[in-house]
Amino acid sequence: MVNVLPSDDYRRLAVPKPAKLPRGADALAHRALGWWHRRPRQLEALRRDAAAVDAKSGEFEMLDDAALRGRLAELSVPYRLGRDALRPETAIDALAAVREAAHRQTGLRPFVVQLMGALALDRGFLAEMATGEGKTLTAALAAILAGWRGRPCHIITVNDYLAERDAKWFAKLYAFAGLTVGHVISSMEEAERREGYATDVTYTTGKEVVADFLRDRLRLGPIHHPDRRLIRQLVQSHGAGHQELVMRGLHAAIIDEADSLLIDEAVTPLIICQPRTGDSMIEASKIAAELGGRLQSGLDYQVNWRHREVELLDAAFVKLQAAASGMPQAWSGLARRRELVTQALVARELFERNRQYVVQEGKVVIVDEFTGRLMPQRTWREGLHQAIEAKEGLEITAPTEILARLSFQRYYRGYRRLSGMSGTVLESANELWQIYRLPVVAIPTNRPCVRIQLPDRSFADAESKWQAVVEEIATVHASDRPVLVGTRSVAASEALARRLGERGLGCEVLNAVRHAEEARIVARAGELGRITIATNMAGRGTDILLGKDVAAAGGLHVIATEPNESGRVDRQLSGRAGRQGNPGSARRFVSMEDDLLRRFLPAMLRQRVGKKLGGGDAESKAISARGAVRYAQFAAQWLAARQRAAVLRNDTWLEEALSFAGPDVGG
Amino acid sequence: MTESSRTFSDVWYRVARQTVTLRPRVEVRRQVFRGEPWHVLYDPFNNQFFRVRPEAYAFIARLRPDRTVEDAWKETLDDDPDGAPGQEDVIQLLAQLYHANLLHYKVAADSEQFFARYRKRKQRERLFTWSNLMFARFPLLDPDAALNRAEPVLRWLFRPWAAVVWCGVVGWALKTCIDHSAELGAASGNVLAASNLVLLYLGIVLVKSLHELGHAAACKHFGGEVHTLGLMLLFFSPLPYVDVTSSWAFRERWRRIAVASAGVVAELFVAGLAALFWASAGPGFWRDLAFDMMIAAGVTTVLFNANPLLRYDGYYVLSDLIDLPNLYQRAQQMLHYLAEKHLFGVRGAPAVADSPRERGWLATYGVLSLVYRVFVFTGIVWVISGRFLIVGALIAVFCAAAWGVAPLIRFGHYLVASPRLERTRGRALGVTSGLAAVALLGLFLIPAPQRLQATGVVQSTAFADVTIGVDGQLEKLETPGGTNVKAGQPLARLHNGELVHQIAAARAQLEELEALWRAGLHQGSRTRVALEEGIAAVRARVQDLEERQTKLVVTAPISGLWVGPREDELLGRWLTRGTALGSIVGSAGFEFLAVVPQADSSRLFAHETTASHATVRLHGQADAALPVSGLVVIQAEQSRLPSAALAQNAGGEIALARDAGREPIAAESFFEVRAGIEPQPGALLYQGLTGRISFPLPAEPLGLQWLRALRQVFQKRSIN
Repeated sequence: MVNVLPSDDYRRLAVPKPAKLPRGADALAHRALGWWHRRPRQLEALRRDAAAVDAKSGEFEMLDDAALRGRLAELSVPYRLGRDALRPETAIDALAAVREAAHRQTGLRPFVVQLMGALALDRGFLAEMATGEGKTLTAALAAILAGWRGRPCHIITVNDYLAERDAKWFAKLYAFAGLTVGHVISSMEEAERREGYATDVTYTTGKEVVADFLRDRLRLGPIHHPDRRLIRQLVQSHGAGHQELVMRGLHAAIIDEADSLLIDEAVTPLIICQPRTGDSMIEASKIAAELGGRLQSGLDYQVNWRHREVELLDAAFVKLQAAASGMPQAWSGLARRRELVTQALVARELFERNRQYVVQEGKVVIVDEFTGRLMPQRTWREGLHQAIEAKEGLEITAPTEILARLSFQRYYRGYRRLSGMSGTVLESANELWQIYRLPVVAIPTNRPCVRIQLPDRSFADAESKWQAVVEEIATVHASDRPVLVGTRSVAASEALARRLGERGLGCEVLNAVRHAEEARIVARAGELGRITIATNMAGRGTDILLGKDVAAAGGLHVIATEPNESGRVDRQLSGRAGRQGNPGSARRFVSMEDDLLRRFLPAMLRQRVGKKLGGGDAESKAISARGAVRYAQFAAQWLAARQRAAVLRNDTWLEEALSFAGPDVGG
Repeated sequence: MTESSRTFSDVWYRVARQTVTLRPRVEVRRQVFRGEPWHVLYDPFNNQFFRVRPEAYAFIARLRPDRTVEDAWKETLDDDPDGAPGQEDVIQLLAQLYHANLLHYKVAADSEQFFARYRKRKQRERLFTWSNLMFARFPLLDPDAALNRAEPVLRWLFRPWAAVVWCGVVGWALKTCIDHSAELGAASGNVLAASNLVLLYLGIVLVKSLHELGHAAACKHFGGEVHTLGLMLLFFSPLPYVDVTSSWAFRERWRRIAVASAGVVAELFVAGLAALFWASAGPGFWRDLAFDMMIAAGVTTVLFNANPLLRYDGYYVLSDLIDLPNLYQRAQQMLHYLAEKHLFGVRGAPAVADSPRERGWLATYGVLSLVYRVFVFTGIVWVISGRFLIVGALIAVFCAAAWGVAPLIRFGHYLVASPRLERTRGRALGVTSGLAAVALLGLFLIPAPQRLQATGVVQSTAFADVTIGVDGQLEKLETPGGTNVKAGQPLARLHNGELVHQIAAARAQLEELEALWRAGLHQGSRTRVALEEGIAAVRARVQDLEERQTKLVVTAPISGLWVGPREDELLGRWLTRGTALGSIVGSAGFEFLAVVPQADSSRLFAHETTASHATVRLHGQADAALPVSGLVVIQAEQSRLPSAALAQNAGGEIALARDAGREPIAAESFFEVRAGIEPQPGALLYQGLTGRISFPLPAEPLGLQWLRALRQVFQKRSIN
């Protein structure tokens, strides 16, 4: 692909600068504007228009395939010309035709609520759609309209499996609508990626798309802005061609599981780095790990669980003073030594094997805490990764040098047309508006949900909780219903599997370490008598199809073994049961020793609730346990929201403060 | 942005490969503050200063066009592993240098951001101007060239003999003022009178212009540059100012001090001249102007300029003397730090002070200046709002917004959202609400003693006017005024010629009638009876006239001090009956006549029994509180003051009615309260002495007391 027109450059390179977060009175006004955009009338309009689409569908049912194809081509014209917004009927006609095409090509006939969802996506909303309502198809409908505009449309989902599956699933539909579709997943090489992005609609994951964007920016060199590049081309006459670029610019994006991508994972920066050579860090990390090993918790240092920090006490300094020798020159200062030792202690105290990371083939591999997936490409920030390697006694890898870095949050803010879908997002409506200017709209469900949410069971200590979990699994298993158990860490999933084994219950474990069998395990999880233990990775997007006779037996039973930091994640997991009108039930287990409560419930309160759970009547136990979990989740969300805002502000500040160093990737 | 300083930073890659240096024009000087070495980067183009520690400078000095930031940092780290700044520090440092326009860099910077930054700065300046309307500054012109030309002349002001002259003038003026202190005190009561305002403002402008000229001349003399002369709004009154910040770059401390104090020196000299003129000149415009200049210079010097607790000249002098630059900001930070550390339990906040001594200075200064500022601003607002109706209310509202509401909002935001409180927000909220609750409880629940004060005047109870009983010409003053007399002692003698004639005529008539009566003894009884009646009538008349004659000698009605006229004043004058010749003040007892304004009277009436334990303090003997006995409230509004000494124009507190003329008629009517007082050792009582009476009222929470005071102020406004 050789660029011909300057406008092509613009499309590829220009990334609109997102507005700064408003502050003070502006923030209030902005928030009010958000309320206005989310007003109930919006939903009414969607409902009315979806009904109009539904009424119009009959017109296309009569056409044969060739005629429908012709009509689709006709209807795509106003989109390509950028005139689709001029007449409201354009979208209604187009969607009605696309609906018919979807019916013919996939065998699924989009429901009216899915039409509402597609309209919402097309209009730049974030649509809340209940789990199991066919979000994937909804996104495809909207993506066809977006693809017709002639600008690349990215459908961003949570994992490679989904991206690949959906791209293949809807390939025929897109082709029928005159569009090309591709996907980009982590295992692909550059050429494949370029091919994937060259299509009208691209299915990919957040990580891939941000990484490709960053790599493109690195290829561009110091000058990103198309204006400047054009001037340079004019002046230097040898053009910096873009044939080496992979992506075609940021235009439209439809984000699946938007709450996860736009909120939970939004501030984790994606980093592109290369190993740094000739560094004394390796040696220093070893010494620090050894030094840290001599220190005692409580005596030499204190661990702050809530903020995940370690603080050295005075006693530690004496020991540090003594241990100055042996450190490489650059690390011989007290402050530097202190920092390294603190890091070693953080690695020891706050990072657990099989929770935050696993060790595979002599390497530390990070586990994503939200999705439970392995992140083999990722490393922790400078020094920490080495500290963990030192702690595990592994060979220490050379520290890396960051070449480019971008938070997902900033990346998504760069899309011109952003829209998204999620099962659970209303709680965060304010934040989504504030940061992404995305108004949230709740699409009603197609069929009433018949999932039974059983009351929580709460315990003072973890041991009795796990026993009760095993009991519950055994009880439900006895009735032959399939059980899905969600755990928060790899370690917990393995431990539970062991317990079940002792009881003679066979189970499948789906976690980061055993991710290879994911598709197979998921496919069978809904069969009669199955017990499946999964880390959080099962909560997102996976559709557990019920086997034969399962619905009659009462459907899938989902057990959450621990409350998550946000109620959204809990609800995602419960949402695996009772999908698409099937029966099902879900229950959550809580113990006062769970991570969430340890971190976010004040110690005094935690003790009191724990004592209460030891004895007392069931009613008051349930109330206090529920209150404790709610409070802890609220505190966790509050802290997280504030951290996200702080990251964005910090990014903006950096952008300004370091503009002497040339534009960052976002600019 | 970042609190901790980690060795590595996630964003290091942004700067690592850049080559940046200081701009070539930047001058670097080594300066020692409080025994600590610093490097001051100074950009003469835009008069920007930037102060860095030697460790940071060690890094800056290594920045060269032929090496990257990364190289420079690594070299610094190898040289001094302990002191070298971490990557985060380096990024901070570079960002600050860039913002101060001290950095030279290769990459074309984001020009859009330049404009955004410029707009933001302008916006902030505008906002600053508006939010500091009380102290807003408007630069007008550049006096540097003019000062350069005037320098040869101004140079003479910095010779030793100038100091001698200054000491002479100021010393003599001080002595003159002490000599005229009584007059000074009386006249100063009128300074804020509406009729004097224009003159006062003129005086202030004159004094302040010379003050600023003093700064400018000193700055020029010691080698600085003065590029801005402008107008500053000080409480809405425009005053001149000059910008002598270039003197901050003077290396010698005493020169900086000299420039900072030159203003006050010039001002005091002018005030001294004005005082001398005022003391010797006759009444008139120039004398009034001199007086106002003197007062303006004196008051502003003591309260503002020379006072280090506000950020005027004295502050800079002090900050140079104790070698603590940015004293004010750092003292504020120190208070924040202390509050965060001890009240909110924030740990790991960067320490503000480097040594215990510095800590002491900063904390002390912080507290004192805070208290003083509150005191001065409240005082100013109080005085102004008391005197000037609309302007006063405007200023009060404005100050309440700027110094009350806005900081409260900021504090609230800080409490809820500051990342510094992330760890201890619960405690911070708890402590704050606890303190607020305690304060509110204290204000609204705990009764505080309450007193009502009123001014008044001492009168003697044994007090008698000496009046003329019979018309007559004053012939002689038997007893001169000012002597103690006994009751009945003749004081003056009058002469009434007509009376003498009348007596003579009446006596002659009596003799005639008596003669007729004797001659007619043998006549008929009817005639006799008629004559006898006539004789009796005439005799009575004689008696009456003779009695009146005795009244020509004026005697003392009671014993006491005879307060009479000077003899030469009235001698030979014709005095009609009833004229007061003087009075006699007995030493038997005194009473205090207090003037209670209407607004306070209802409280006094309601609590008359408690109020009866009032005490009186007299001017000049304020240490003695005199108990009162027999409190009587005269239940009728009055407007004529019992003594002219209570009126504002005589140094009292009561405003007079505009159309009062020479009569002491109060602008607002009042109630009179009489209370008997006894002399005490150490307290001399005499007629006409003014003082204050203080009535104890039932205790009431302070908050309620203040609310009522506020309501009264507004009530007064609405009546006016």
